Amino acid sequence: MQVRVRAFARLREAIGGDLMLEVPPGATMSMLLAAVGETSEQAEEALFEESGELRGYVILMHNGKRVRRAEAMTLTLADGDEVALFPPVAGG
Amino acid sequence: MFTDRGLERYQRQIALFGVEAQEQLARARVVIVGAGGLGCPVALYLAAAGIGEIRLVDGDIVDRTNLNRQVLHGDRDVGRAKVESAAGKLRAQNPEIRVVATCTTVDDENAALLVSGADLIVDAADNFAVRYTLNRVALQAGVPLVHGAVRGFDGQATTIIPGRTACLECIFPVAPPVEAVTPVVGTTPGIIGLIQANEAIKYITGTGDLLTGRLLVWDGHAATMTTLPVERQEDCSACGIGRC
Repeated sequence: MQVRVRAFARLREAIGGDLMLEVPPGATMSMLLAAVGETSEQAEEALFEESGELRGYVILMHNGKRVRRAEAMTLTLADGDEVALFPPVAGG
Repeated sequence: MFTDRGLERYQRQIALFGVEAQEQLARARVVIVGAGGLGCPVALYLAAAGIGEIRLVDGDIVDRTNLNRQVLHGDRDVGRAKVESAAGKLRAQNPEIRVVATCTTVDDENAALLVSGADLIVDAADNFAVRYTLNRVALQAGVPLVHGAVRGFDGQATTIIPGRTACLECIFPVAPPVEAVTPVVGTTPGIIGLIQANEAIKYITGTGDLLTGRLLVWDGHAATMTTLPVERQEDCSACGIGRC
C-alpha cells in the first residue's frame, strides 16, 4: 500500500520533498518512519538520534491529527493515508 | 483622540477597519521579546501601524553578523544595545507612539514584571528556553502570545490564547536542539515577523481569523505556506488539566 509523506523544514531538505512510500499492509507509523529514514543518511539524521530513537522534538501527524510518540508503535496505516513530519525550527 | 496629523498618518488603515480600531491600536501595549531577526520587522510594522506602547526586551548588543536580517540595526549600531538601536529607529518612524527599551534577557525571575499590563506578547526570541518562559508567563497572566521561529528558509508561527488554544508546550513539548550558529537568510524572519505583526494587529482590532489552533509553516525554498492543526494536550505540563 502507498502512504504519502509530507516533510517540512530540515527533513524536507533531507528527502527532497514529499514522498509516496510503498509499505506493507498493516504497517505502523514506526515502520513508516524507519522507511523514511532509510531514504537517505540525511533523512535518518533528521529523524533519529544516534541511539536509533526518534528525535523527541519531531512533530508527527496522521491524516491531519497529531500523533503522540507513544502511539507510533501501534498506530496502523491504511492505503492512501497521509503522514506529516515536522521538525520545528528555533531561531529568531 | 487623533490629531489631524495622526488621522493622516493612519488614513489607509482607518479606511480599512475604521477609526475605532485605530484607537484600539493606539491604546494597546505590546511586549516584543527579542530585537533581532524577528523582533525588528515585528516592531517596525507595529510602530508604523500605531501601537500605542511597544516594549522591546533584549539583552544582546548588535554584532556585525546580525546585519543580514536584523533590519533596524545598521553598520553604525554595531556594539550598541539592540533595544536602544531599535528604539531609536522606531521613534523616528513614528514619534506618536511610546517605545520602552529594556536591555535584559527574559528569565523566570523577571518575566512577570516585564509583561505586566501588556495586552499581547510577541515571541521574537531566538531560543526555546526563553519561549517556554514566555509561554508560562502568558498562561499565568492570561495574555495572548504570538509565537514565531525561523531557521534557514524555514519558519513557523502560531497564536496562543491562554485557556482556549494549544499553548507552546502543547505544540512543542520537546525543544529543538540549540545550534551554535543558526543559518538563516534575512527574508525568512522578515516573512515570519510580518505574519506575527499581522496577527498582533488582527488580535487588537478584532479583525479576521487568527492563527489559533493552527501552526503556520513557511518553506521559503519551495515558496509554500501551510497550516497544520494543533490541539490542546490534556497532559501538557504547562496548560494541561488542573494547570490552567
